[in-house]
Amino acid sequence: MAIEGVDLVKAAALLGAGLSMGLGAIGPGIGEGMAAAKACEAIGRNPKEAGLLTRTMLVGQAVAESTGIYSLVIALLLLFVV
Amino acid sequence: MDLDPQTLTKAAAFTGGAIAMGLGAIGAASGEGYTAGHATEAIARANDRAGDIIKNMLVGQAISESASIFSLVIAILLLFLSTPEPGVLKAASLFGAGLCMGFGAIGSGVGAGLPAGKSCIGIARQPAVGGRLTTNMLIGTAVCQTPAIFAMVVALLLMFKEPGTTAASPTWAALIGAGLSTGLAAIGSGYGGGMAAGASCEGVARQPDTAASVTTTMLVGQAVSQTPSVFGLLISFILLFKAFPESAALSDSVGLLAAGLCMGLGGLGPGIGNGMVAEGAVRWVARNIENAGDLMRVMLVGQAVSQSTAIYAMVVSLVLIFVV
Amino acid sequence: MEGLGRLHQIVFTIAGQRFVVNLEPLVMTWIVFGLLIIFGIAAAHKKKRLPGPVQLVGELVVTQLYGLTEEALGARHARVYSPLICALFIFLLLSNWLGILPHLEEPTRDLNTPLSLGLLGFVIAHYAGIREKGFKTYFKSYFEPVFFLMPLNLIGELAKIVSISFRLFGNIMGGAIIILVVSHLTYSILLPPFLNAFFGLFVGTIQAFVFTMLTVVYISVQIK
Repeated sequence: MAIEGVDLVKAAALLGAGLSMGLGAIGPGIGEGMAAAKACEAIGRNPKEAGLLTRTMLVGQAVAESTGIYSLVIALLLLFVV
Repeated sequence: MDLDPQTLTKAAAFTGGAIAMGLGAIGAASGEGYTAGHATEAIARANDRAGDIIKNMLVGQAISESASIFSLVIAILLLFLSTPEPGVLKAASLFGAGLCMGFGAIGSGVGAGLPAGKSCIGIARQPAVGGRLTTNMLIGTAVCQTPAIFAMVVALLLMFKEPGTTAASPTWAALIGAGLSTGLAAIGSGYGGGMAAGASCEGVARQPDTAASVTTTMLVGQAVSQTPSVFGLLISFILLFKAFPESAALSDSVGLLAAGLCMGLGGLGPGIGNGMVAEGAVRWVARNIENAGDLMRVMLVGQAVSQSTAIYAMVVSLVLIFVV
Repeated sequence: MEGLGRLHQIVFTIAGQRFVVNLEPLVMTWIVFGLLIIFGIAAAHKKKRLPGPVQLVGELVVTQLYGLTEEALGARHARVYSPLICALFIFLLLSNWLGILPHLEEPTRDLNTPLSLGLLGFVIAHYAGIREKGFKTYFKSYFEPVFFLMPLNLIGELAKIVSISFRLFGNIMGGAIIILVVSHLTYSILLPPFLNAFFGLFVGTIQAFVFTMLTVVYISVQIK
């Protein structure tokens, strides 16, 4: 089976897109989990501040998620632009 | 090098069987080791309860072993299954089945060890709640086997799929991708479910009167932690049952393989992360029962947000399957 | 097994554009509407001081959800958004439960339903943000912390629609497929009722609640 250069490049781009999003999802998934676990702990210790703590958790998770969004952007670029 | 179809299929089946059992043994063994370690510690603390602790340990280990028993069943089937329709597709689906079951058993095996170990320690600490602890452990470990069961369902579907007259390329990649998607995604969810169950056994032992709330929080947390593996299963089923038009291009095959890999890897992290959230929530429901409602709500929101990367992975997989 | 992925669609062309209408989710959505209207009338009709069972369930749902919204948004905003949140939750709850009845299926199984509800929540959250903070402050928040992060902030915001709607879709669709495949493998004995209870009732309730809570959270992030 002869593989053409264009075909090979496209195959690499698709595989790259899959790996980029797949591997990129691992870190944020665990990191955001840690943030939420600590938020649960904090609310358990100090339930009066539940609203503030939830908001802090959400902001922290949004920041932790940004690397996941970078992966998504790279995956979509590989899929549609390159 | 030209292989005849029968040789290729047999080779794939044997490799798949070896992978299924080899990888499948990792999780259960570590989980059981964890349980035994904690049981030993528990007996050192309260040697007059040794009988109860050993009984609990054996029950727990028997359940965490079930993931590797699934692997054993799949491996034996792969070794002795007759292949009436040998070919590239049959080979790919048997190899995919092996991958799926092998990876899928890791998380549930390790995960099921956590509640078993924690409940042994709990019996040493609070002998009076021994029966309730064992029940709680049984529920928790049973639920964290779910991802391994998903993996077994996909492996069985792959093994008994009849290739018929479908062209080999690119469907071979879809079959291996289907195995990878459920298999890898099950690792995270299985381990995550185990973390939640472990925390609930610890909590019941500390505060026996909160057992009902703790078990409910654990079940909700585990159900949400299973979402990534449900996504993995969804992608697997699409890859299994969608008819792909024949194409000799490498990129079409690699795209389908990448779809499975993307969802599988992408489900791994969020599964563990969701488990951590559930663990934290369950632990603090036991310590601070008045705020169980608040904690449950924060847990659900936290888990939902930490799942979002798994959802991006699912979207990229769907794009790889349907658009590109 | 043949039922997998089958859709009843109407395809028609207006001015050269192809339009596709998925029939099943539409019909199922109308069934949910009907059930909700019947429930609403039964709960609010002839209100008594000693509530009957239907009135009790209705009051329970409404008080709980109003309480949740008030905690997250504050009393002033809660008065505006609570009815919406309440309606969203009971609609999703009933939609996710519909699949356990034979011959009916969840409207949320079609991506269009969660996607449109996600868009609805997104638009309302941003409208609330603009109304609360003024357009200038709202607009400026996209250029924080540094101005060139604007595209990423924008994508991050749009990704919320994707995550909220695909979460619901993936869970309900995944559950439906698992039930179908397992029923096929075990010839529909013994296991399917338990699976229906788990995926239909339990996961359906949790996902309806998660979707509603996230909509509240998105609104609260915008107005604070």
